[in-house]
Amino acid sequence: MINRLLGLSGRSASRTSDEEGETPAVRLGSVTHEYGATGARFGSGRERTVTALDDVSLEVQSGETVGLQGPSGSGKSTVLHAVAGLLVPTDGSIELLESDLSALSARARTRVRRRHVGIVFQRFHLLPSLSARANVALPLVQEGVPTSTRRERATALLEEVGLGDRATHLPSELSGGERQRVALARALAGDPDVLVADEPTGELDTDTGANVLELLTSVGRDRAVLVASHDDDTLSVADRVVTLRDGRVIDDGR
Amino acid sequence: MDGSDSRRRTRWVGIVSLAVARLWRRAMHTRSGRIAATVTVVAVTIGLLVTVTGVSLALADGGAVSDDDGDITVTPAESATLSAVDGVEGPRLGDTNARTETIADADGVDHASPVLVEPGQLEAATEGEERRTVLLVGVVPDDEPRTVAGLPTDDLEPGDSHYGDGSYDGPPNGEIVLSAAAADRLEAEEGDELAVPAMEGATGSGDVSLTVAAVDDASDDETPVALVHLSELQSVGGAADGQLADRVVVWGDDDAASAAASEAYPDAAVDSGATANPASLFDDGLAFAASLLALLVGVVICTSFVATTAGMTVEDDRQSLAVLESVGIEQRGRLAIVAISTLVTTICGAVVGIVLGFAGIYAVNAVAGATIAPGLVAHSHPAFVPYALVVAVLSGLIAMPYPLVLAAKTSVLEEVSR
Repeated sequence: MINRLLGLSGRSASRTSDEEGETPAVRLGSVTHEYGATGARFGSGRERTVTALDDVSLEVQSGETVGLQGPSGSGKSTVLHAVAGLLVPTDGSIELLESDLSALSARARTRVRRRHVGIVFQRFHLLPSLSARANVALPLVQEGVPTSTRRERATALLEEVGLGDRATHLPSELSGGERQRVALARALAGDPDVLVADEPTGELDTDTGANVLELLTSVGRDRAVLVASHDDDTLSVADRVVTLRDGRVIDDGR
Repeated sequence: MDGSDSRRRTRWVGIVSLAVARLWRRAMHTRSGRIAATVTVVAVTIGLLVTVTGVSLALADGGAVSDDDGDITVTPAESATLSAVDGVEGPRLGDTNARTETIADADGVDHASPVLVEPGQLEAATEGEERRTVLLVGVVPDDEPRTVAGLPTDDLEPGDSHYGDGSYDGPPNGEIVLSAAAADRLEAEEGDELAVPAMEGATGSGDVSLTVAAVDDASDDETPVALVHLSELQSVGGAADGQLADRVVVWGDDDAASAAASEAYPDAAVDSGATANPASLFDDGLAFAASLLALLVGVVICTSFVATTAGMTVEDDRQSLAVLESVGIEQRGRLAIVAISTLVTTICGAVVGIVLGFAGIYAVNAVAGATIAPGLVAHSHPAFVPYALVVAVLSGLIAMPYPLVLAAKTSVLEEVSR
């Protein structure tokens, strides 16, 4: 429904391809990532590194929702950040709609993220000085979408997530659940092919979290969705759940 | 314009709007002490700059005694002599009576007059009156209504009968026109007799007696100024030898007057007759030094404070910058937002500072007038507005690299993981 409201055509080609089963929307191939490889040295003079991801391979099809579970530090968020192009892994490949993210420049990764990836953070990360509508319209600014169109799209998305009457409110004037719905609307502004959500209900009470999950399920129906969470209720919306421990996939849920 | 140009333009309009909207919301809807502090410091600095420049301009301009309505003014070219503040008399034009007649005879020139300014101690002709100082301004009046030193020259008898073709032996007119401030100071009114003691170097026969021809009640300047005939002041003031004057004022067509003046005084400065010309700052060493010092101090203070506060703002705003990156705003766009926020804040400070500066000039004049100085000690000028804005923008641009470097170093992962 949101897609129709947005009227964006960028996603349809890849979706058709995916429907034919040719290419996954997201593919991680033997991804390894170490933090601190160029970081601080300790007293011994040796360089200390932390392996966040260790030979992780994963595929997510369009229309599939994949849950990521595992204890803190298992690498769930790092997988999401890698898929969103926010980090370049130390080794391995990340293909997003057939683009190898790790081979792209920072600017090109930003462009891919803007056009194909929507991110929902645990702590919402709305800009406090902008209204709900302006927050939702943010991803469209860089695309050069005219102001009036940005407003129309943002208003439609806010209505879609049930916040049409909160468009002019600042984040500080919204409840936690409302903020997360605004964040979800913002993630959908560019009509992304891939949606990544990092503990989307982590800051919400049970009922509010359930509402947000329902919404996430609804908007993620024809997208590749990755949801990282500790919470079984949140993971219950996933088509399959991948389990990580110490940066390794120990169960890919198949 | 093709589609990509249009989209690029729309994108930049969006980014500028986003930057301004964020700044506005932060200023209006949050307790943004930092924005207020930046605006305040820039405003105070720019205000001081404008005020000091106004004082410098008055210093260079010579105050009320230079308030002429002539079209062209000839002044001695820049010299190494500093302002008369330190007691050193400034340079003067020579041979003014004869050369001014040449200028006045040129086509397109209506009238020309040397102007000599001398402080004189006048006293009422009655016994026992104390001497009081006024600024005597010598001119050659004609019968047209003109203004020199803010006073009407046509209240004096036309011509300069005492000059006598350079012999200074003609009959003196013995007239004086007083400004309201001078009349107050001398407690004189129209028809009163005033005595002017001979000054050092005088060529005349001693004290001169003058009759108050008029008191110009319309003059609201607090400088006590009085108009007299040029040659009479030259005689009593010791300027007859060499026919000295401080400037020559020319009325008539600008081009013709300027050409005639330049021909008569090829080495002198020929300027349009507007008073308080900021360009005069460059002609006076002390005034120029004071205004330059104000400029340098202003730029340094503005730059330092803008850099510091903008840097602190970026530190506080890292998470928002990271969010902008996470939603796909490219680095150029994010840095533009920081730059626009910094510049807009600086310009807001400059606008407030301009108002403060003009208020400062008014206050300085009010305080000086009520205490130590008889007239204006600071001038305002419309050019101060663009000048202050340029200084503020320059300071903002110099300060800019610091917040931009901090913004560029923001780690999106670090910030969104908090």
